[in-house]
Amino acid sequence: MNGAVSISVREVCKSFRRFPALHGVSLEFEAGRMHGIIGPEGSGKTTLLRIMLGLLVPAQGRVEYFEDGRPADFEALRPSLAYMPQTQSLYPDLSIDEHLEFFRDLYSLPREIYARKREELLGVTRLAGFVDRPAGQLSGGMYKKLGLMCALLRSPRVMVLDEPTTGVDPISRRELWDLLYRLLDENVLILVTTAYLDEAERCSKVHLVELGRVVAAGEPRRLLEVEGARSFDELFMRRAAASAP
Amino acid sequence: MTFSWRRAAAVARKEWFHIRRDPFTLALALVLPLVMILVYGYAIDFNIKDVRLAVSDSDRSQASRRLIDTFTSSDYFRVHPVDSADDAVRDVAAERARAALIIPPRFEKDLLAGREGRAQVLIDGADNATVGPVSQYVGSIQALASRRIAGSDLTPPYQLRTRFLFNPELNSRWYVIPGLTVVIMAILSIFLTSLTVAREWENGSMELLLSTPVQPIEIIAGKAAPYAALAMLAMAFVYIIARTVFGVPFAGHLWVFGLGCLLFLVAYLAQGLLISVVARQQTIAMQFSMLTGMLPSNLLSGFVFPIASMPKFFWYFTMLLPARWFMVIARRSFLEGSDLAQLAVPFAALALCGAVMTALAVRRFKRTLE
Repeated sequence: MNGAVSISVREVCKSFRRFPALHGVSLEFEAGRMHGIIGPEGSGKTTLLRIMLGLLVPAQGRVEYFEDGRPADFEALRPSLAYMPQTQSLYPDLSIDEHLEFFRDLYSLPREIYARKREELLGVTRLAGFVDRPAGQLSGGMYKKLGLMCALLRSPRVMVLDEPTTGVDPISRRELWDLLYRLLDENVLILVTTAYLDEAERCSKVHLVELGRVVAAGEPRRLLEVEGARSFDELFMRRAAASAP
Repeated sequence: MTFSWRRAAAVARKEWFHIRRDPFTLALALVLPLVMILVYGYAIDFNIKDVRLAVSDSDRSQASRRLIDTFTSSDYFRVHPVDSADDAVRDVAAERARAALIIPPRFEKDLLAGREGRAQVLIDGADNATVGPVSQYVGSIQALASRRIAGSDLTPPYQLRTRFLFNPELNSRWYVIPGLTVVIMAILSIFLTSLTVAREWENGSMELLLSTPVQPIEIIAGKAAPYAALAMLAMAFVYIIARTVFGVPFAGHLWVFGLGCLLFLVAYLAQGLLISVVARQQTIAMQFSMLTGMLPSNLLSGFVFPIASMPKFFWYFTMLLPARWFMVIARRSFLEGSDLAQLAVPFAALALCGAVMTALAVRRFKRTLE
């Protein structure tokens, strides 16, 4: 039940009406690592995550799930996947505590485990003083942290975050990353999308996505070396200049 | 995965927080029934009384006065005399009177000579709502008048006495208010729930919800429960007003009526959720609930127009509508005191409607964002 989960995306295509979003994307995500999916807006990052979570159905290709290296059924794994969507998805009129209690019941957590988790998460996020505040009145960073807390309540084995740091101040951004690093110690597969290119270097493996295609993948340092760039900013700017007519 | 009461209860609890903090929902649930019952109970009275009757009596005899007296002594007409037949017609045309009684000069002479006494009644046919009742009144007054004019020596060989069962005075409030319970329940249940799932789609929370282990049936059940409680509360409120303010009798069993309410609610809540699941947008969901819930419950449930006099197609079509069946249960519970066995058909139909609607809502609930 607690095996490490890895995911393979094979030749996945998807389009919406007439707009193609993904053209034959293939990716490998290994357990216990922080994977960054990096790319400009509109490159298909969110669509890719949604397909991996079973929220969208690919037009072609497939997603395969493995548990300790053996093929596993998605429906069986579903309860151990946690997701934090990019769009606002919490209830503005519900307080932090009411959110945590709602998700506690949805995940069927025993009371004592919940009590320990709640304590721990409120401590790390420094939100303990705001438990009665409605989500609609939280700042951008606090809101994202609450979303993350809801996802982390159940000790997931795969944690998928869609642009968790967008619209968050620098201090909260660092706190969010610290929170994610703690998860790595528990052999959790973490998938993060971001449009902040400086954050790419925080990941153990990055997948560069552009216009629905994977253009490069590897460890951040190695990738930059191969491409001969000093930073991901530079790399993307150069690619954008090269592809412009 | 199996149905989890805990997850369904979590959804219900969350929904209850939304209701509690949204003044619009609470106001709609409690104020709307109050307003509707007062409007229908006081302002709209299907009993027609005090119909202004212009009377031209060119005979001025004992017989003609007896005829006029019969009209005057009924509660239905307010008589005002005019000088000529032309004046009487003019009053009706100018809407100063809704009907006219014209008695020609030879009325009594004809009667005494053993011929037929002729008098004319004109009713304003443009006012559709009054024609039926007024002509009915005229008919019964005519029978009464002919006996009075003829005197007691000429008793008709038979007497036809009509007694109205269950509502002896034919008080329209007794008939309208039980029917109103159907309309109020329909509006509340379908309107409020049709918004809830659409709201989750609109504010993005559905994406998060779908990535948790919660099942569609748990979302449906959890969302329906607090609205069911709210609607039952509103119904209790309507019942109390009906009994105390309007003195509507309740001859039946409260538990039978309550069970009917509950079954009707399940059907309409499920219909509201089905709309919400399909529409995914609050504005569209609202229009759909007006079209498929509020209109039929008003027009095709037998509330305003009797189903028995509808064309064959509608007679069958209304069988699909829970409102038609609940209308039968509500009226017969209030006025006739029917028990469960006598209402077996409407109850079975209502249960079937509810089951089908719930199944549809759960089936159409997709676990993807497609």
